[in-house]
Amino acid sequence: MSEREPLLDARDLALEYHDGSRRVRAVDGVSLRIERGAFVGLVGPSGSGKSSLLFLLAGLRPPTQGSVRLLGHELPRRPDGSAGIRRAHVGFLFQEPFLVPYLTVRENALSHVADEGGAARVEALAEAIGMASLLDERPHRLSGGERQRASLLRALAGDPELILADEPTASLDQGTGRAVMEVLRAQAAGKGLLVVTHDPGMLEGADRVLHLADGRVHEGPVERTR
Amino acid sequence: MGSGRPSTPIARRALSPWTFLRRNPRRVLPLFGIQALVSCLLVLIITPTNAFEATATAGLRPLEILTIVAPRVRSEFDEDLLARMDANPHQRDRMPAKMFWVRTPMIVGETATPILALPGTARDGFLERTGVRLVAGTLPEPGSDGVALHEAVVRSRGMTLGETFGQLVNPRDVLPGRFTLVGILAGESRLGLADFAYAENPLFVLARRRPFQVVFAKPGQKDASDAFLHAVEQEDGEAAYRVIDDDFMQAQIDAALRNLPAIIGFITFSVAFVVAFVVALLNVIAFQVRTDEFGMFLAIGHPRWLLVRKLAIEAALVALVAWLVGLAAGWLGVWAYDRFYLAPRGILMHVFDVRPLLFSLTVPLLSTLTAAVALARRLHRMDPVAVIQRRGA
Repeated sequence: MSEREPLLDARDLALEYHDGSRRVRAVDGVSLRIERGAFVGLVGPSGSGKSSLLFLLAGLRPPTQGSVRLLGHELPRRPDGSAGIRRAHVGFLFQEPFLVPYLTVRENALSHVADEGGAARVEALAEAIGMASLLDERPHRLSGGERQRASLLRALAGDPELILADEPTASLDQGTGRAVMEVLRAQAAGKGLLVVTHDPGMLEGADRVLHLADGRVHEGPVERTR
Repeated sequence: MGSGRPSTPIARRALSPWTFLRRNPRRVLPLFGIQALVSCLLVLIITPTNAFEATATAGLRPLEILTIVAPRVRSEFDEDLLARMDANPHQRDRMPAKMFWVRTPMIVGETATPILALPGTARDGFLERTGVRLVAGTLPEPGSDGVALHEAVVRSRGMTLGETFGQLVNPRDVLPGRFTLVGILAGESRLGLADFAYAENPLFVLARRRPFQVVFAKPGQKDASDAFLHAVEQEDGEAAYRVIDDDFMQAQIDAALRNLPAIIGFITFSVAFVVAFVVALLNVIAFQVRTDEFGMFLAIGHPRWLLVRKLAIEAALVALVAWLVGLAAGWLGVWAYDRFYLAPRGILMHVFDVRPLLFSLTVPLLSTLTAAVALARRLHRMDPVAVIQRRGA
């Protein structure tokens, strides 16, 4: 992959599905590029297709139309076909932390590690995001904010080049949500970051904010605070 | 570009099946319990069935040393039959005998143990050759109704020295006449000794029993001696003797137990099949609770085959440990059954039997296979996006 090539390059993406007899076009002709170091926000009301677009970009759903290139390689249509790419190069942050309850925070993070340097990286990251003292705790002993930070630790443990976050602060209170976003932005420096949220207030410092309505993207105002 | 590597050692350690099993005892215990219990039950059911063969084979042991021969057609040994027997170049010597059978309770039903009525002069030599020794009481006096029985027979029948038995005492007894227990024998060969003169007394019904010759072969020539006796023919070309040797008795035992492996196999496979189905069901139920875990693993890029392998190894480990624990518990039960119930009754059983091990092995194998297939199907159909959206909704 050349330096100038975007991390993610999605072209003319569309996703249609049937809801009973109704044909739904959840994503409609979306094109999107994310460069290295870029923080892109994606906002829109519920049902606007934000999460569907994120799943298309991650290769978890095959598009009805269009294509996604990740690190210069076109994602295969079969979600399982892109598993290796996701695992090696993409970090995921979901609305729910999805931590494995019987694993410690450290083990949860290491479960996403695809290289031998992971253990040291997890230690360093945990220090950076204030989780060092909680590495050997199980998720049920953590607060909501700590769980989401543990989930962030897992997303970053594999040293991904692209981070895809789907409503990462939706289940947190405003203060905790902002704190998590702050950590996410700091740790994502130099990587590509796409954050899907219904709360534009969480996108402080974003390079671009895209508004999604009825499956279509509209470029919105960008706060230049970085 | 993604390497598609399934996992690194460091991630594999975090995802180790042992980690799940150690930290989720309450989820694992029902699966473990049912498989351990069934393996234990199979050991408890299958092992005692070897008591049939073990006890019957103990009665066969004397025939590894001697051969019992009777005229096949004629009512008695005449000069000609005896002369042709003595032409056997492998024969060491022979002695006249009568043979009766005493009923011995088994684990189910009864077996029969031979009582040989021998001349007083032949008894000491006979005992020496068969390795049987007198441990209590006396050997039968010449002309008396005394009998010395093997200690296992005495125990199984609950007899005491001085006790009388036989058809004249108990009409339901198959042993003709009347005998008095005067001695107790011990040794590998389970047999009894009576007096030949008593058995030949023309006043008694015993005299009408067919006469036998007990043939001892020269050292190392037992098979050749038996073959010679089988081959002797009468004038009409028919076999001259009825030869009761170890092969003959083994064939009788084999015929009696012919259907046992089929019955055990049927029971075992039926049980294993039902258990495998239940285990698969329990595994699927346990998997439902872990939907988020596996949905997330799939979403972040763990290959399905790796997750199937993890689940299969978890199921296999539980099945294997449950099987081993079940075997150990079963063997402990069998040992106690033998020690406290069978042995005091003179019933032989091999506590360490390889058959329950092999048969019960179908439980972990079938359980692991069905669980792995059921879980693989679940995992194959799992849509990680649906899992994420359901939780995020």
